[in-house]
Amino acid sequence: MLTIRISFEKRAEAAYISLLDLQRVFQRILKRSGLPVYYTQGFNPHIYLSFASPLSLGQESLCESCEIKTAEENPDLASWKETLQPYMPKGIVIRSVAPAQEKSSEIGFADYTITLPLSAEDALIAYNESETAMVSKKTKRGSHEVDLKNYIPRLEYTKEGDGLSFSVRMPCASGEGVNLNPSLLLAHLQQTHAIPPWQCEVLRTQLYTKNGAIFC
Amino acid sequence: MTEFSHQLKEALSLVQKPGRYTGGEPGCTYKDKSKVDVRMAFCFPDTYEVGMSFLGEKILYELLNRHENWWCERAFMPWVDMKEQMERLNIPLYCLESKDPLSDFDIVGFTLEYELCYTNILAMLRMSGIPLRAADRDESWPLVIAGGPCVCNAEPMADFFDIMQLGEGEQMLQDVCAAMEYAKKNGLNKEQLLLNLAKIPGLYVPSFYDVTYEEDGRIRSIKPNRPGVPEKVTKAIVKDMDSFPPPENFVVPIVGAIQDRASVEVLRGCVRGCRFCQAGQIYRPFRERSPKLISDCARILCRNTGYDELSLTSLSTSDHSRLEEILDNLNSWAEADHVSLSLPSLRVDNFSESLVEKTTRVRKSGLTFAAEAGTQRLRDVINKNVTWDQIERGCRIAFREGYTSVKLYFMMGLPTETMEDIKGIADTAQQVVDLFYKIPDRPKGKGVQVTISVACFVPKPDTPFQFCAQDTREQLREKQKYLLSCVHSRKIKVNYHDSATSVLEGIFAKGDRRLGKVIETAFNHGAFFDTWEEYFDYDRWLQAFAECGIDPNFYNYRTLALDEVTPWSHLDVGVSQAFLAREYQKALRAETTQPCNRQCSGCGANKLLGGPCFAYDQNQL
Ligand code: SF4
Repeated sequence: MLTIRISFEKRAEAAYISLLDLQRVFQRILKRSGLPVYYTQGFNPHIYLSFASPLSLGQESLCESCEIKTAEENPDLASWKETLQPYMPKGIVIRSVAPAQEKSSEIGFADYTITLPLSAEDALIAYNESETAMVSKKTKRGSHEVDLKNYIPRLEYTKEGDGLSFSVRMPCASGEGVNLNPSLLLAHLQQTHAIPPWQCEVLRTQLYTKNGAIFC
Repeated sequence: MTEFSHQLKEALSLVQKPGRYTGGEPGCTYKDKSKVDVRMAFCFPDTYEVGMSFLGEKILYELLNRHENWWCERAFMPWVDMKEQMERLNIPLYCLESKDPLSDFDIVGFTLEYELCYTNILAMLRMSGIPLRAADRDESWPLVIAGGPCVCNAEPMADFFDIMQLGEGEQMLQDVCAAMEYAKKNGLNKEQLLLNLAKIPGLYVPSFYDVTYEEDGRIRSIKPNRPGVPEKVTKAIVKDMDSFPPPENFVVPIVGAIQDRASVEVLRGCVRGCRFCQAGQIYRPFRERSPKLISDCARILCRNTGYDELSLTSLSTSDHSRLEEILDNLNSWAEADHVSLSLPSLRVDNFSESLVEKTTRVRKSGLTFAAEAGTQRLRDVINKNVTWDQIERGCRIAFREGYTSVKLYFMMGLPTETMEDIKGIADTAQQVVDLFYKIPDRPKGKGVQVTISVACFVPKPDTPFQFCAQDTREQLREKQKYLLSCVHSRKIKVNYHDSATSVLEGIFAKGDRRLGKVIETAFNHGAFFDTWEEYFDYDRWLQAFAECGIDPNFYNYRTLALDEVTPWSHLDVGVSQAFLAREYQKALRAETTQPCNRQCSGCGANKLLGGPCFAYDQNQL
């Protein structure tokens, strides 16, 4: 059984598709494609699908990915991409369909480009100057305080047009590892300087493995 | 790529299920707006989930967008949270595809599926900044148009629409767009455009008619006020159903629509002539699509959309004269394509074993039977030609096939109804329960569940019962209480619908144009989403009637004279008033009428075809 990774952009309209809805969309499109993908066995077979580190609703990404499986030994994956793309919702652009090199459990970090209104400059200066940047993080086991400064010591921003933007690398591990969502940073800026999160844009630009190699 | 404004992003970040407001679903159409001549906003005055379930919109969306130089987009009524955010952030109502406000469009069209969505239409216009009343809009505003079944009595909404489409939109809406294209290219003013539109078969321009009233409030006359405008508007139909193939693609909703499956309309109209049923009259005459076309288009549709469930829709799918042939055609590919079939409107009286077998390979959950009335006498009155023997036979087959739950639909408040008929509802359900336990090869290890679903009868225009007064809420409450007292089994569940919304439905169904100001007043007092119980406020409506000095009871609690000039008498759907009066009198004598495919009862709708509806001598029935 070969594991295949579909890497895709999820932008604009598609940023508002929830994980659950996205799963349905992929099920339907894969099914319609007639491609030789693996179906789970059992009473109600469905296509095996696994999305790696899905984003929060409203955030955009250049590097989402979904794993599927196939029993074929040498599938013509270039044609898979051509087959699937026309049926995708607007904003989903398939970048590649290729055999998975790494398990998605190897994901360790992600890069984001965050764009804020000009008025957020004070908040960013304050962030860079302060010793700590506490924010509460909700998990399945309740919520606990995290110091963002441990992970993001400085925000090196630039001014562009009527906004500010910066790139930041954040831990993004599944399971036991640390996972920080950019919305935590936005929540912190909202709490300290009343920067409305909806005026901030988040674009995930790259995923890395724990060793720092590009994942997708 | 369409850019989302900051305001829109803010709104989307604060509402439930933002995917309803973004567009971009697979199958939707994008065009370069600088290269199109006519832009149409197809508006559904209810939520995205409800609107995306309607077939009519899908048909017309595809038809219009086939024209390269026209672009049809979609808009829905935003849910309460989104409406609030849009108003707070000054975001006008927009179409999902381009995100352009409705006021940028040439045509803003609403589909009128049910009366209680009227306030939502006003809400959507207001959210777009478009003046509500047609008289307040010149050619700089979009042409605001209506279509759908409620146009058969369009009068309560007459003040708000520039034009209304009576009948089937396939040809008519294309004619409207063509007239708009011509008007734009030739710089016509609104009056000139409307005069051109009035010539299109089925098109009704409300402002071209004057209504006069008798002293007691009844209508004296409805007359055109311009030369060249027809005395009566005659419904447009698609004469040959095979000339407009069903859609080969749907916009596939991402956020779950109620009917999220492929569907193909197999026929239009209904042969039955149930006297309470408006659809059965206004979609006359009966026309079928051929089995091969249905099957071929269905297969392409399933491939294009990826749907794995296909339903054959129509008012009465099992009345298709070649239904088994359709199913055989479909079954020749459905399994290989992983598509399962469902027939939503099975009828008890021709429900056969082979039919069940051909459609229920996959799902065996529930089965619904529309019995409509609890006694044979009342079923004869309403011309629902179903007997207990047929119900019994249908249930017997179903139980043997593994069904364990049955839903029986009834109406309450039907003309001539007595408490005996109400008791009959409970008795029928009990007989079904008893039947289950008498069947030796019933599904083992499971009990039976019979659900009685009772709707309040609402007299509708263009039906033989249009002359009848509606039951009052008190009468209905009493009948409901009595029904509950007649049910003695825990296997029987009773679902009952509140009657306040039915009262309003009854008023608007038979209303005239004086009700426009009532709708506007109620809307200004905050009425919208009246179809949603949590937002429906009966007292607000009573207050609106009082403020406008209009007695609502005049419309729904009054029996009409057989020769009364009705508010819809200038809107001709095919069936004649004489036929309706005849049927009404037969109903009072509990006499039934044959279905159209057995014998023509001369309703008059065949004039729309220009010949007889059926070739009776060749009919094997
Ligand atoms: S003209 Fe006759 S057959 Fe045709 S719809 Fe009317 S009653 Fe039925």
